[in-house]
Amino acid sequence: MAAQTDLLLRYRPWRGTLHGPLWSALALGRASVKLMLRRRLCWGLLALSMMVFFFFFYGQYLVVWITTQLADENVAIVGLKIPAREFTKFLGRFALDGSAHTFGNFIWFEGYVVVILLALAGSVLVGNDFFHGSLPFYLSKPIGRRHYILGKCLAIGFFVNLCTTLPAAALWFEAGLLYDWKTYYLDHLTLLLGVIGYGLVLTATLSLLVMATAVWVRRTVPLAMVWMGIFALLRLLAVWLVDGMHGHPTWRLLDLWNDLYLVGLWCLQADPATIRPQPQPDFWEAGAAIGGVCAACLLYLRKRVQAMEIVT
Amino acid sequence: MATQVGISEPASSQKAFEVEPLSTPHPRAPLLLFEHASKWYGSVLALNQVTLELTGGITGLVGANGAGKSTLLKLATGQLRPTLGKVSIRGIDAWNWRARRLVGYCPDNDALYEDLSGRRFVWQMARLCGFDRGEATRRTETALEQVGMSERADRKLQGYSKGMRQRIKLAQALLHDPELLVLDEPLAGIDPIGRQELLELFQRLAAQGKCLLISSHELEALEKLTNHVAIMARGRIAAVGTLQQIRELLDDYPVSVRIAVEQPREMARLLMDLPDAVAVEVDAKSSSLVVKARNPKRFFAAFGRLAVAERIEVHSLEPLDESAHAILGYLLGGSGKT
Repeated sequence: MAAQTDLLLRYRPWRGTLHGPLWSALALGRASVKLMLRRRLCWGLLALSMMVFFFFFYGQYLVVWITTQLADENVAIVGLKIPAREFTKFLGRFALDGSAHTFGNFIWFEGYVVVILLALAGSVLVGNDFFHGSLPFYLSKPIGRRHYILGKCLAIGFFVNLCTTLPAAALWFEAGLLYDWKTYYLDHLTLLLGVIGYGLVLTATLSLLVMATAVWVRRTVPLAMVWMGIFALLRLLAVWLVDGMHGHPTWRLLDLWNDLYLVGLWCLQADPATIRPQPQPDFWEAGAAIGGVCAACLLYLRKRVQAMEIVT
Repeated sequence: MATQVGISEPASSQKAFEVEPLSTPHPRAPLLLFEHASKWYGSVLALNQVTLELTGGITGLVGANGAGKSTLLKLATGQLRPTLGKVSIRGIDAWNWRARRLVGYCPDNDALYEDLSGRRFVWQMARLCGFDRGEATRRTETALEQVGMSERADRKLQGYSKGMRQRIKLAQALLHDPELLVLDEPLAGIDPIGRQELLELFQRLAAQGKCLLISSHELEALEKLTNHVAIMARGRIAAVGTLQQIRELLDDYPVSVRIAVEQPREMARLLMDLPDAVAVEVDAKSSSLVVKARNPKRFFAAFGRLAVAERIEVHSLEPLDESAHAILGYLLGGSGKT
């Protein structure tokens, strides 16, 4: 910082157009994604997510191959001859046939990884900002608090879609190639739109839920416990009430991931009667439950956004 | 220095900006204006009816812990919203994100992203300011150069010393060339050489027309930088102005002056006849005396007349308590320690 360099170090006048806060929210989202990708655990969870995808990807291929090539043949496994069609029966549980349930099931199973990934994201991306006091760095820049939330939601949405919507869309493309692609792509275009709709519902609901819970509890361990409570304990409770106690199927609404699954199947235009396990609440009830969760998260975030103590 | 500071009501010419908060900066509006701003945290009053106006130069913000300094800075940077009153930057409500294009903030905490390099962190902050990639890179380099971190910015933040962290925080505050720089304890943890460099940097920024509001506990460093201070106590601005102006406001408090003369005892007797002299203490060893007097202006005028009339040879005359510490002591009712 020698005095003679002072003149050289002055800022030249800015002649460009400064981007608005929405663009800054995008930059914030990008920075948050990079922040997550620096965590080894994140890569481990993404690898798990890829494994689920590959199971469905090769499963679809296997089902078609067995159906067309080995329908009446036996396959030797550990010296035992098993009819190839038995494999398709086993794989049939996952509905690996390019139907609405293929994508519904795929996203259901990805949910296990997504929930853990989002608990990590909530802690790293949001909780740390509150807990360690990094917020003033962000909020002193020309963005509002809503833009901060939007930026973080974009990052969370990126990971949700990376694990669910994008691979589900890849499965749709694969299914088209396995069957008659001209008719499949045209006849099942609504499935692709359904996948996108399902992804949007997941993105909106989960990003709001991550933000709200991370702002509330902030630390990794309590956050993981809250998520376990929402996605594991409430699910067990719902299963016990409906399947164990033969309670009203509305109790299943306690299981948020099941609610998302039902709304997803509604987007995919699946027949409610084909959903397992039965009985299930109506699609509209699941939609209303998700709407309620989103509204509660938004109200809580609004309260926190307006709270003055947020940066104290 | 072009600083305009005061605790008066906003001038009538500024009423136009008071009616309705603007969404674009108005060049004639005060750079930073607090209008009867109060801030409650639940039942605790952190800031009480603060009215303050800054237009340029360097202003130091001093006060004891819990006096409301950090709350005032957070209101100025739009981190908080006043419960009552208004805070505006060039006529824009400080809460509005547009106002923050004019403000650079260096917070006191250093909760940075430890696994990022300093350069990357500053660059990301530049992107948040709304600059595209190229401009963000250029500004990052300029800001790092300004704070003397160009050569060391590629290391991860977790390996930085306290002083290096302060410089990185300062760099991110300078990125968008803000008119108003709000610095919360910017000198904390910086070694003497680094401190001198930063003080020079602050002076250069002020010379470029920036307005700096600096909160610091280190009054000696602040005194080297500026003699404009805002003193806070119990959520109020106790005084704003130069140290001398503030001292003059404190006429009710005695000023201490050391006077070196040939005959201190004789001088002490004469001084006690002056109406403003409160107490005199003679130090025979150093042939001097310390007099405590109210109303410094009137006292010095009377002392001058007395010295001429009595033909007293005064070797030196030294005010003892015009330092910020002494003034703080008076205002805060304590030792002046913050």
